[in-house]
Amino acid sequence: MTVSAFLTDATLCIGCKACEVACKEWNEVPADGMTWTGLSYDNTQSLGASTWRHVMFLEQPAAAGPQLAETTDPFRWVFLSDVCKHCGKAGCLEACPTGAIMRTHVGSVLVQKDVCNGCGYCVVTCPFGVIDRRPDDGRAFKCTFCYDRQKSGLIPACAKACPTQSIQFGELAELQERAQMRVHELRERGYHDARLYDPQETSVQGVHAFFVILGEPENYNFPPAPEAPTAYLKSAWTSAVICAAIAFGIICVAFAF
Amino acid sequence: MSSDPATPAAKATEERLDEIRKAAAESAPRGGRPSPAPQIRGRESYYGLPVLKAPVWTWEVPLYFFIGGIAGMSACLALVAQLFGNEAALVRSALWVALLGAAICPVFLIADLGRPERFLAMLRVAKIQSPMSVGVWILVSFSGCTFVALLANELIARGYTDILIVGVNWAGECTAALTGLILAAYTGVLLGATANPVWSHNRRALPAHFLAAALGGAAGVLELLGFLIPPTQLIGVVAAVIETLLGVHFELSRLPVNAPLHRGKSATAFRIAGVMAGPGALILRLVSDAPPVRRAAAVCFLAGSLLSRYAWIWAGRASAMDPEALFQMQRKS
Amino acid sequence: MPGLGTTYGRGGATTAPKDMLNSDVILIMGSNMAENHPVAFQWIVEAKEKGAKVIHVDPRFSRTSAVSDIWLPLRAGSDIIFLGALIRYVMENELFFREYLVHYTNAPVIISQGFHDSEELEGIFSGWKADLKCYDPKTWWYEGADQRGGQAPGGETPAIPVPDLNSYKKDETLEDPRCVLQLLKGHFARYTPDLVEEYCGISKESFLRVADLYGRASGPDKTGGICYAVGWTQHSSGVQIIRCAAILQLLLGNMGRPGGGIMALRGHASIQGSTDIPTLFDILPGYLNMPRFGESSKSLAKYIAQNSPRTGWWRNFDKYIVSLLKAYYGDLAKPENQFGFNWLPRLTGDHSHQGYWLDMMDGKMDGMFIMGENPAVAGPNSGMERRALAKLQWLVVRDLVDTETSSFWRDAPEVKSGEVRPEAIQTEVFLMPAAGHAEKDGTFTNTQRLLQWHEKAVDPPGDSRSENWFIFHLGNLLREKAKKNPHAKNAGLLALTWNYTTAGPHAEPSAEEVLQEINGYTVADRQLVPGFGALQADGSTACGAWIYSGVFPKPGENRANQRTSKDFYGHGWGFAWPADRRILYNRASARPDGKPWSERKKLVWWDCQNKKWMGNDVPDFVATKPPNYVPRESAEGDDALAGDKPFILHADGLGWIWVPNGLADGPLPAHYEPFESPIRNPIYPKQQINPVAMNKKRIGNEYASSPDSRFPYVMTTYRLTEHHTAGGMTRTLTHLAELQPEMFCEISVEMAAELGIRQGDWVTIVTLRGAIEAHALITPRVQTLAIEGKRIYQVGVPFHWGYSGLVKGDIGNDLIAISEEPNVRIMESKGLLCNLLHGRHADNTQKVRELLRAQRVAE
Ligand SMILES: Nc1nc2c(c(=O)[nH]1)N[C@H]1C(S)=C(S)[C@@H](COP(=O)(O)OP(=O)(O)OC[C@H]3O[C@@H](n4cnc5c(=O)[nH]c(N)nc54)[C@H](O)[C@@H]3O)O[C@H]1N2
Ligand SMILES: Nc1nc2c(c(=O)[nH]1)N[C@H]1C(S)=C(S)[C@@H](COP(=O)(O)OP(=O)(O)OC[C@H]3O[C@@H](n4cnc5c(=O)[nH]c(N)nc54)[C@H](O)[C@@H]3O)O[C@H]1N2
Ligand code: SF4
Ligand code: SF4
Ligand code: SF4
Ligand code: SF4
Ligand code: SF4
Ligand SMILES: [Mo]
Repeated sequence: MTVSAFLTDATLCIGCKACEVACKEWNEVPADGMTWTGLSYDNTQSLGASTWRHVMFLEQPAAAGPQLAETTDPFRWVFLSDVCKHCGKAGCLEACPTGAIMRTHVGSVLVQKDVCNGCGYCVVTCPFGVIDRRPDDGRAFKCTFCYDRQKSGLIPACAKACPTQSIQFGELAELQERAQMRVHELRERGYHDARLYDPQETSVQGVHAFFVILGEPENYNFPPAPEAPTAYLKSAWTSAVICAAIAFGIICVAFAF
Repeated sequence: MSSDPATPAAKATEERLDEIRKAAAESAPRGGRPSPAPQIRGRESYYGLPVLKAPVWTWEVPLYFFIGGIAGMSACLALVAQLFGNEAALVRSALWVALLGAAICPVFLIADLGRPERFLAMLRVAKIQSPMSVGVWILVSFSGCTFVALLANELIARGYTDILIVGVNWAGECTAALTGLILAAYTGVLLGATANPVWSHNRRALPAHFLAAALGGAAGVLELLGFLIPPTQLIGVVAAVIETLLGVHFELSRLPVNAPLHRGKSATAFRIAGVMAGPGALILRLVSDAPPVRRAAAVCFLAGSLLSRYAWIWAGRASAMDPEALFQMQRKS
Repeated sequence: MPGLGTTYGRGGATTAPKDMLNSDVILIMGSNMAENHPVAFQWIVEAKEKGAKVIHVDPRFSRTSAVSDIWLPLRAGSDIIFLGALIRYVMENELFFREYLVHYTNAPVIISQGFHDSEELEGIFSGWKADLKCYDPKTWWYEGADQRGGQAPGGETPAIPVPDLNSYKKDETLEDPRCVLQLLKGHFARYTPDLVEEYCGISKESFLRVADLYGRASGPDKTGGICYAVGWTQHSSGVQIIRCAAILQLLLGNMGRPGGGIMALRGHASIQGSTDIPTLFDILPGYLNMPRFGESSKSLAKYIAQNSPRTGWWRNFDKYIVSLLKAYYGDLAKPENQFGFNWLPRLTGDHSHQGYWLDMMDGKMDGMFIMGENPAVAGPNSGMERRALAKLQWLVVRDLVDTETSSFWRDAPEVKSGEVRPEAIQTEVFLMPAAGHAEKDGTFTNTQRLLQWHEKAVDPPGDSRSENWFIFHLGNLLREKAKKNPHAKNAGLLALTWNYTTAGPHAEPSAEEVLQEINGYTVADRQLVPGFGALQADGSTACGAWIYSGVFPKPGENRANQRTSKDFYGHGWGFAWPADRRILYNRASARPDGKPWSERKKLVWWDCQNKKWMGNDVPDFVATKPPNYVPRESAEGDDALAGDKPFILHADGLGWIWVPNGLADGPLPAHYEPFESPIRNPIYPKQQINPVAMNKKRIGNEYASSPDSRFPYVMTTYRLTEHHTAGGMTRTLTHLAELQPEMFCEISVEMAAELGIRQGDWVTIVTLRGAIEAHALITPRVQTLAIEGKRIYQVGVPFHWGYSGLVKGDIGNDLIAISEEPNVRIMESKGLLCNLLHGRHADNTQKVRELLRAQRVAE
């Protein structure tokens, strides 16, 4: 079984939003609000139940670092297309009480529309703030990794539409390697703050969608050290059991007198 | 007017442009930031937009926490009361409270679903790593056990003292008490084991807080039903003391991640709730044990612990909206 | 189009986006390529990855700038200063490609004594006819270009003299003061880096950095490419801006070579096609000049004489026009009736978009068909154009959606404001649903002159019909009416061959048949012709557009529908006119002796064994004409061009640094300010604007003075990736509308600070044509420029919004004036003056009225 992955590269992105649109076209995702934000050219703002690819537009002072190897511009404008991380250990999947969220045979994390009952627990257990409940529908939605397309040998719609190879789709190990090389090469070329965002060390246990970025992960609203909430279970339950015991004790004492 | 030469011969060198920018910045409106264009500096978040999603739960869920807790704890009270041979009426009422609670809980739980008709999908699977799944199964078994326990109890009350029925009664009450304890405690885990900063940060305190509330709540309900006996008074006092201590604890831990407990709507609610369930109830109980005062104390505690459930949800919302808190929390770890 | 047309011979882009992979340096100017041609831009990104340097010069820092190596901001409308300075830099530092210049361009050619440069005459060239406000180009001709120029094969002489450009004197040392290169040098001598700094707002250092970078992209082993689009076109000197680039590319020897050329980025998916087989009023299919009323079109012979110079490819003009007439009129086109030449209408005036809209304004037009256009939003001075629409008796709009144009009488702002009452509008509007491209067969001709066939994927919904269907059946109905009314003016209509086979429930005419007719066929046996080489002037062949000939050489061989690319240039995928040549003038990719300039930059070369040109592209040259071929004195047409003359459509086979004939505004580009400018013309104080450009001034179409204290800011307009032009195809779709949901304008941080504007505040933008409101998007991507030491603010206005669709907004073009560039008659929508008021339109009505009244008085 090969594990599919995304490598999305900010240094190749031209901010055309073709990925965002292609995703909505293929997956028939409804509109996500017609509000103008004034935040650069980003009127989408974030991933959500009705936005599964989201192109960010970072306007930064030059101090942030070079966008171009030898720029003289007083600022930089960086684009990056965000997407569900398809976590190695996925908070949403672990937490889903109905089993609606499953791990597919390509290693992606899929919400089964016909099972989800909209309990909303995945919403608070995703460490990347990706999945959300669609108000008018009641169920939770997120990137499907175009599982339907993958099953029939097609690559995901967003990757297909990307004109500049900013979204690369492929086999996990191979892409991870390519990502490393890319970052190295970029630094050689003078992008001294180029780096790879791929949280491996945390309880998320690596992601299947990682990103070549310029500057700090925080600038892209990427949690610096995301934790899969399952990491909190032990401490929470321990405390729960002890407290329960104490509570029971208190009752006994109360009645003993 | 935009075209007044500063130094007529000046050239469009970069320095010149900087001069112009400064000049313009100075002519900025009073109090106005010189550069109103949003820019992302240093390690700032993406234009201050939230990283995480806010909980979608509405008013039903906190109410469910509240009732579930009380129901669970009254099952324990019933068992212990029976163990120490207290009067049957107390046991009986406690069980009734437990069962009624167990009956109402699913209503709120289901009402909150995006697709209520699919509630049963919850029973497709049992996932130990999912507090919500655990909770659902606990609730189901709790209802079952309490029902059995109460049924047997009622039969015994009507004189059917058959050994088998007595056995079933004991078994039912023991399991009801056990599941009841978990029912009252797991809701703290449910919130604690999430990506939400303020919840996950307080994952150890949450079960304690919820259990204390359930404990005092159950006792309070029984008091209001007329059982103004020493045990309930004692439990009420202890619960209020724990609430007070927790209140102090939350006030003192000034970490940015706890901001929602110190600032804004959620904080106000949280504090009021804390005072009512903690010091408020405590003082009332200490000043006198005259029945009206005890009833007042019970009401005061119940209201407080109900409000605190809402406060926790609101705090969760506020916390999800604050990217910087999340970053700080994760940078430390 | 004439910018490239006059310089090289053809108006089309000379290269293909993919060829940019071979460039060492790429200059993108007057185009926001990443946003407006994202798919083509993938090659720029890849080229950059391969090490090419990408330069973007644009008033705004756009998505293109973001991924370019260097971005330079410039004042809208100052392009010729910048490019002139580039040319000067190349001359001063002798960076030009001498051998290329000497053999392939008219740099060494001596110009007639009568010529006087605009530098001498303070802004106008010799030959100026003040009374007619136009030039007589005679003095621009080569020394010794006599009258034998345009003699028809029939011996008929042209009404207006045509120069013989193949008999010229030249100085291969390029030293002669009257040779083109020296004239060019003198002409641009004053375009210094300091001038650029002072009037474009680009610091000297930055300019020199770019000049050196691009200037050195030259020589046997290096090439640079230039991409432009309407950021250059839509100026009162648009053609001359493009000429600057064209000259630069000749100087550096970048034409016809891999990684060189000029990538003219076209607009709509088939806008190239709509000039090849024109929707324009003054040319016939294949760039044959439309006959003008008068002497020059008295007879077919005269008309041919006018248009077929003795030498060069256009000598074949007679074959192409006669074959076109045969395609039009079939058997009724006979030698006796000059193949029906007199059935062709004659040009009597300005029937361009601007021209007929002004006529409409004056009530000179009864009705109009608008098919696939939305001028109520995208037309210049759209407010005025909407008022003009209201003067029609009837209006037919064919579109996919109910556009602002079809609903102007109902939803327009002037209607909403009560200024115009729907019941007072006489126009009867018919909205005809059109089939989209996926709902019909046909071709697109894309930005690289590539014809690509598309098959119908789904049936059009409801009553929607294809263009072919509509025109064909409309034609039938009109011909029925005409039959009943045997008026002379109907003869042409009745003579038309109008017999396409139809299929399906709606009798859809066959698109393939139309393409076959365009390809051409022999009249006698109706065999498809293999290419334009087979066309004849005796009426034995018919051809709808000679440049497309070869697209359908045999029945069943629709080359536009080829889908297997065989090589780097994509031969085997689609069909590029002419004759599937992907890089035009590619003879220039080889030395005069026929060997490649270098291994790295080879494209086509002379194969000595097989005695023919071969290589990685179809040679844009007579395949068997050896490099050392020397024509006989009496030779005509292409035979009169030597073996080292790559620009075969020109009478002299040379690339024209100097345009001796064919441009309205001069043989060399000169800088004029836009109609509205914040400064006086620094080059020609006595000649503020392009003398031949037309401002069409009238009430409702007034101009600010330059400078104008009431309108202190420079304004320009442009597109966003998220929308398409007037928005009919994007503001109507949720997943596009939501991406840019509201009208906004972009202003600099300093301007916002000075006016106390906050991010997202409403502002009102005012010009003498109108006032609109928009959100302020404040960003350092729009820089404050220092011009003449003064602070100059620029306001960026996207023009995509209107009053129909899912997302609505004020119409940017209500601010634009109707004006005409002298060669292509395009309006000046890039570079004008405006004022900007804090607050919504409603809050500013008083101030706006004052600004506009002030003008009325001034009138
Ligand atoms: N997504 C999208 N793609 C499109 C279209 C669309 O509407 N949307 N339209 C299609 C059509 S019809 C066309 S014609 C093309 C047009 O393609 P472009 O020419 O790229 O279109 P614009 O955005 O109008 O103008 C390009 C740039 O010119 C700059 N500019 C403005 N004034 C000046 C000036 O004085 N000098 C210079 N050097 N630059 C200036 C603007 O800032 C803008 O960035 O795009 C085609 N592609
Ligand atoms: N200020 C300013 N103004 C400009 C420009 C600028 O840069 N600045 N750019 C100018 C340029 S370059 C251009 S090209 C124009 C564009 O201006 P327009 O061409 O008037 O605007 P579009 O929205 O492209 O109109 C095309 C219409 O055709 C419809 N359509 C699409 N497919 C079909 C079809 O198959 N059949 C039929 N019948 N209709 C179809 C679409 O729904 C759409 O309404 O705008 C010009 N105006
Ligand atoms: S990113 Fe969130 S939604 Fe996506 S797999 Fe991970 S936890 Fe689930
Ligand atoms: S909302 Fe749906 S997907 Fe999310 S946890 Fe609940 S059941 Fe699972
Ligand atoms: S993989 Fe498919 S579902 Fe996921 S973002 Fe791309 S297009 Fe959308
Ligand atoms: S399609 Fe590719 S280039 Fe365009 S925005 Fe998405 S990632 Fe960027
Ligand atoms: S919209 Fe069509 S024509 Fe325009 S860039 Fe995309 S693919 Fe090319
Ligand atoms: Mo266009």
